[in-house]
Formats: sequence, C-alpha cells, structure tokens
Amino acid sequence: MILLEPHNVIIQTTLSEKIARPSSLDVQFVDYDNVRFHLSTPERKTAVLLSMSIRCWGDLVKYGALDILKREYGSLLKDAAEPEYNVSLEIDLEQVPPEGEARESFIKSVSLLKRNALAAPFEHAFRTQKELEASGSGQGELMQVHYRDEEAIYVQASADRVTVIFSTVFREETDRVFGKVFLQEFVDARRLPTIQNAPQVLYSNRDAPLEIRHVPGLRDTEDIGYVTFVLFPRHFANAAVSEGTISHIQLFRDYLHYHIKCSKAYMHSRMRHRVSEFQKVLNRAKTEVAAPAERKTVSGRTLVSR
Amino acid sequence: MSNTLRPYLSAVRSTLTAALTLENFSSQVVERHNKPEVEVGGSKEVLLNPLTISRNENERVLIESSVNSIRLSIKIKQADEIERILCHKFARFMMQRAESFIVLRRKPVPGYDISFLITNGHTETMLKHKIVDFIIHFMEEVDKEISEMKLSLNARARVVAESYLTTIILETGSFFMYPTSIIN
Amino acid sequence: MSVLAPIICDNGTGFSKIGFAGNSDPSFVFPTAIATRGPASQASRGPSVPAKPGHLASKRGVEDLDFFIGDEAVANAKTPGYAVNYPIRHGIIDNWDYMERYWEQVIFKYLRSEPEDHYFLLTEPPLNPPENREQIAEIFFESFNIKGLYIAVQAVLALAASWSSNRVTDRTLTGTVIDSGDGVTHVIPCAEGYVIGSAIKHIPIAGRDITQFVLNLMRERGEMASVPPEDQLRVAGKVKENYSYVCQDIVKEFRKYDAEPYKYFERYEGEHSVTGRKYGLDVGYERFLAPEIFFNPEIYSSDFLTPLPEVVDGVIQQSPIDVRRGLYKNIVLSGGSTMFQHFGQRLKRDLKHLVDQRLEATAVASGSVQRSSGVEVEVISHKRQRYAVWYGGSLLADLPGFYQACHTKAQYDEIGPSICRRYQIFGSAT
Repeated sequence: MILLEPHNVIIQTTLSEKIARPSSLDVQFVDYDNVRFHLSTPERKTAVLLSMSIRCWGDLVKYGALDILKREYGSLLKDAAEPEYNVSLEIDLEQVPPEGEARESFIKSVSLLKRNALAAPFEHAFRTQKELEASGSGQGELMQVHYRDEEAIYVQASADRVTVIFSTVFREETDRVFGKVFLQEFVDARRLPTIQNAPQVLYSNRDAPLEIRHVPGLRDTEDIGYVTFVLFPRHFANAAVSEGTISHIQLFRDYLHYHIKCSKAYMHSRMRHRVSEFQKVLNRAKTEVAAPAERKTVSGRTLVSR
Repeated sequence: MSNTLRPYLSAVRSTLTAALTLENFSSQVVERHNKPEVEVGGSKEVLLNPLTISRNENERVLIESSVNSIRLSIKIKQADEIERILCHKFARFMMQRAESFIVLRRKPVPGYDISFLITNGHTETMLKHKIVDFIIHFMEEVDKEISEMKLSLNARARVVAESYLTTIILETGSFFMYPTSIIN
Repeated sequence: MSVLAPIICDNGTGFSKIGFAGNSDPSFVFPTAIATRGPASQASRGPSVPAKPGHLASKRGVEDLDFFIGDEAVANAKTPGYAVNYPIRHGIIDNWDYMERYWEQVIFKYLRSEPEDHYFLLTEPPLNPPENREQIAEIFFESFNIKGLYIAVQAVLALAASWSSNRVTDRTLTGTVIDSGDGVTHVIPCAEGYVIGSAIKHIPIAGRDITQFVLNLMRERGEMASVPPEDQLRVAGKVKENYSYVCQDIVKEFRKYDAEPYKYFERYEGEHSVTGRKYGLDVGYERFLAPEIFFNPEIYSSDFLTPLPEVVDGVIQQSPIDVRRGLYKNIVLSGGSTMFQHFGQRLKRDLKHLVDQRLEATAVASGSVQRSSGVEVEVISHKRQRYAVWYGGSLLADLPGFYQACHTKAQYDEIGPSICRRYQIFGSAT
C-alpha cells in the first residue's frame, strides 16, 4: 500500500453490515487529523446517525463546507448536529438504494464524509481562480484551515494558479530528518520529464513562504517546515480531475507521516537482520565448551549451576 | 577511500590483538571481588595507557586496556544529519540487544558511538582471534550498512514522492508515457 | 480539546481484535495473517527470515510496502508470488518484521489514525518474556511515535471484562480465568492483577477439537453422507456454534432424546458453496456431546483425560493459600469456546462438588467437631465473553486512571525500552 485511501473503512464496513442486518449500534472512532466519528442508532435500529467532529469546522463552514455536504448528501444532512459533534447525517437503512452498484456508491459516498467536508476551501479556491482568470488579475482570499493543533493548511487562489501551503511540525528529531529527505525528493521529483505536469512543490524550513508571512502567530522554530503546492488550472480542469486532486492533496500530511513511519519500520527490519548477522560472527568466536553431563535428582528435576 | 581503510583496520587489529593479553585479577580493594579494572579505574597501577587510532577527525577507535579487561570504543563516520540519526539509531538498537552480544557495553564511552568491554572471562571462553575478527567485521560492516540505509531512504523517498505526484497527473489526464514501474 | 480515544489492539494467535476504547465491540476482527511477496512460507516454520538481506538489491526500497493483512491476506493466499505468514505463534510474537508491518497497516489503513495522537493498549499472553515487551515498546515508540503505551496481560483484561456482568459487585482483579480460543485452553489464576505464573495450566482441548469431534460424531451417525466433503468441517463448525449446549447429566439427556426425538433433534439446512445444491441433516446428540469433551475428555481424546473442573481445582490448589478463596469465588470465562449455554453452571456444579468432597474428607480425617463454613464457588458468564480480552481493554482504557498508568513517549525517551518491563495495575476497586 503506497497511497492512502480517501474513504473511511470503518464507516464503509459497518454500514454495509448494518444495511444487510440492522441492529442497534453505538460506536465511536476516528479518522486522520483529529476527526472523531460517532455511529449510533438513537431511535430505532434502521435509522443510523453518523456524526462527525472535526477540529477546523469553523474554518470549513466559512468556506462553504455546508453547501458541499448538502450537495453530496442532500436530505441526509440533519439540521442540528448531535451535541459535541459538528455535523450529523441520518441514514434510513430502509431507504438505501437496492443491492448492487448503486448501494456500493452510496456507502462509499457516506464514508467520504470527512473528505467532502475538508474539500470546501479547495473547491472555493478553484472557483475563485476561474473568476480571477476571467477578470485577468487579482488575488483571492487567503484561507486558513487549522486542521491540527500545530499545523494548518493555507489555500489561496490567484489568476493563474492555486497555492496550497501546509505547515508541518515534526515532534521528533528522527522524523524531522527523515521528513526533510522526503520533502526534498518531492521538490526534486518534478525534474523528471515524466512528471513535469505535476503540481510544483516548494519546501522551506523555518521561514514561512511569502504568501503567508503576514499571518500572525506563525512559529519560526527549527522543527517547523512549509510545503507549498502550486496547482495549475490543468489540475482542476474538470470535476473529476479536481475531485481527485482534492482527495490527494488533503491527505498529503498523512501520506508523508505514513511513509516516514514505514521507513522507520523498514530500517528496523534491516537492523534486525544486520544484528543477527553480527551475532553469527560473534558466535563463531565461542569455543565449543563441552556441556557438563546433565545431572538430575531422583525425582527428575535438573540441577542448575549458577 | 579504501586505501586508508585498510591500514586503519590493520592498525586496530594488531593493537587489539596485543591488548587482549588479559589475566584473571582479583580486586585489590574489596575482598572476593573480581571486577573489570578498566571500568572500576580504582587502582592506577593495573591500568595501561589508553590509545587512540584515528583514521580522520570523524572516525577513530579508543582502546583502553588494563590487567584483566579492555574497553574499545568506536566513533563511526557521520557525514551529515541523516547519517548521524541512522548511526545513533543503529547503535542504540544494538546496545538494546547487548545481552546476546556478550562483549558489547550497554552504553558508549562519552564522545564515541559504541563501546565494547572484553574481560579475561571472555578471552577464556572465546577464541581471541575470532573476537578480534568480530570487531573488525563490525567496523567494516557498520559503515557500509549506514550508507546503504541512507541510500535506501533516499530511494524510498523518491519513489514515494513520484507516486504521489504521478497520481495527481494521472487524474489530470495528461499521462503521456508515465512510468509503469511507479504504479504498484 | 478532548483526547482521542485510546486504541486497543489484542493480537491473538488466530485473530486480532482491534478497536477504540469505550466501544463495546472491536471495530475489526480479522486473522493475524500477513501476505507478503516472497518465497513460500518457510518463514512460518523455522527461524524468521528477514524481508530483504541488506544489499543494494532493495534499492528501490518500497518492496516492503507490498503486502496485505487480515482477511485480504487470506484472500490473497493463492495469488502467485504472495505467501501468507502468521507472525504470532502460541500467543507470542515470533516474527517482529512481519508484526511491525502488520501494525503499520492496522493503524494507517484500517484505523486511519495518526499514531502520534493516540494512546495504545496492547495485550500479551501470560508468561510473555519481558524482552518482548521491550521490543513492542521499541516498535511503537520509535517507529510510530505513539503518545503512550500500556501493555496488559490478557487474563487480567478478561477479569476486567467480567465487571460488566451484573453478578459482579466488587471490581476485583483476583480470580481464575478460563480462556478457551481456537487452539488451546488456558486456566490462569490472577491475584490482584498479577498472574500467578507457576500455577498456570494448559488444556490441549479447544474450539478446533470440538469441531472435529462434532464432525466425527456426525460421520459415525451417517448424517454427513449428504454433505459434500469440502463443506463438512464448516457445517460441523456451524452445528457447534448454533445448536450446542452443556447438559447437566449425559445419561438423562440421552434418554430424553430417545424418548422424544422429534422434540430435541434439530434440522440443519445447508447449501453447497459451489454448486448451490441444497442439503439437510439432523442434529442430534452432538448438541450436548460437543462441549461435553471439556468435562469428560475421554470421549474424545485418549491422551488428555483430566476434566476441566479438576484442572481448575488443581490450579487453585497450587496457588498461594491466601488467595484461594478469591480464586474460587471469581472464575471468569473468556474466549469463543466458553460460549456454550449452561457452560458456567455445569462448571460451577462440578467444581463445587470437588471442593465439598475435599472439605468433607478433611473434616473426617481431622476428627474435629468444628466444621468449615464452606468455600464459595462462583463462575461468571457474561455477554462479552467472546471478545472478553478486548472488551476488558476497552473498559480499562476508558477509566481516568489509564493515562497515569501508561508510559508516555517522554518517559520512554528518558529511560529507554526497559521502562515497559513494569506496568502499574489499576482500575480495581479493592
């Protein structure tokens, strides 16, 4: 598994299970970036309530998340969210599409709830870019999504591009060093002729890029880095393309951290192998000490010398 | 590069072989104790002069010998931040398993990355020249391993970055001659 | 902001139970299997073979991401180039490379959580070597940078799970756990959260044996004749799960069945998994004979002959004298093979009988007029028995004391993996 999937597996499996066999339900689980979900059947077994709490809900609503959710889920969206959560969907299990592809895609779309909510600033930026392109110049509003405690996404549209900036914080030294290697490759990868069309990636350590330098409260410590993606109109030329781009780009941080962790796991397995090799070399040094004949007591217990 | 490595290793090998003349030696301070004198450091008369063999400013070996034990500390080459982290991780990983590496010290001597403590007990139960072989083998391999780990980290990072960016282009639809090797 | 729910990960020999604290059921239950690209599973036998011997062959360096876990691993078993491995053997982690990658995918693909934001509760079998705890800590703190870790003994979690039963009044961590899964049954005494290692007993009879026994019985009666051979084991498993119960007296039960066969015989209807041909069979004496092998093992095996109540009695008698009352009073069932109806009652009755007999014999032998006040024997059955260990973990990790009992990343960095050799016991009210 190199790429992460945009949908939530727990929502997907639980829903398909419950549609087939409704029963009462009350589970809480999470998704990346401090998203909490609650799946429950508060009233009856066939009415499943899916609630989501997301840290940056305030930011998202500002950029039109509600409109997107309305578009995606229509009447499923409840007017008032469950207490402690930001948004709730009510799914009537008796009214889901019949078995087959329609049902599959329905379940899939529900399991994309987090992705859809987080898509708001991106869609907003893509629209703004189209408008600015028509008018010829100007800059869109700088949208800030504080999706984690210390990290944020900044999205800004210009006449010819959309800039997405991630601030990343590495809590650990090893992660920071590994992260740097990875990010450097992101920057360099575009030099390959085959992926020239990819979004341009810039990386700066410590110093914030010009676009967001005026934002108050930015830290400038060694452990913080800024990754800038420059998306050109071809990356969101039509609906399908922009959907894919949004799905990928919002998982960037998780993708990066996933691979940092995987590389550490890989290093571990290499080291395990190397250490066992060393062990073999050292064992060659051991002389064959003839084990003293095992002595036993009458009852069959062995004597151990210390 | 290897033309300085060879004399370096052979210097370590001959010094170590010479230093490994250890004998059983009871503590002069506490009755019925028998401790590695190089660690205790209590009685000056049983300690020998410590010796450093340097290949360059980043790589050196410190051999401290005494009547019944020697301590060998290695400073491993660390050219940059990545190598420093990898070396640190590797040394820690090994010292975590010191139990099975009889001669490995659980903590390095300050200023060095990894230390070995060989006592007369070890030289009596193990073949002396094989212990030397092990240390030399370790020194050879550890550099190689660290640079390989670094290479593989870079290679990995490249693949990861390429596959991420490729998926975005693939969806853009302008996928002329995309490398098939990346999509797996 | 609120802390995200801790992740509970119970990796067993056969199945892993994974989910979030506070829930009543694990979010995922799938085989502890990993399908990797590479030579056929010689790694599952002998010593572990690392994924890649170190040379530059692995230069592209992402081969180790090409694997499947859980149900997907089993589904891919037949795909050419993939080999399925089970990294846990007899409850103890055997291949750390595979296990680390298994966790990698559990966290990132299934749970979709950033490990840096979560506390983890992992389980280990009794008598797990402390080095293994250190290895687990090394993986979780160094590879995954988790916030905090607690490693609990499975038996203790099973005791905690029994607190959900309404028969339990005080939340104690003293008791005897009977843990019966697919491969083996353990009887584990615990005193105040600590396992009494010297008294643990294993019984080589568990779920798999019961299924086999049901199959044998049905073959002897000729019921299996209509069932296609490849389905027989599965049918036997279904019969065991859906129709079996524990009787109080075999002889009476046989008579009952013979007198009114129509009342007690059940009909099982099945369908051939490939051709779709329907078949049916009568389920008879198997219904009560299947779980009977715990109480009269001689009907199934010829080399293990001690009934379960006697084993439990022996275990408790081997434990220190001052905890024996507590152990008799709180016998907790855990695992799928203890789910038979009336299993608890039968065990309690037989055990009580053994204990009373011994008390009687002592009284007679001592010749004294004073009588013992008797020993209270209680077997706790509860609703969460099947995933008791996981549920116990979910319960404990939901308590406020959990975060104090965990070792955090900062503590790990300060002291090193050896910090995980010891864990504070918490949660019990006594």
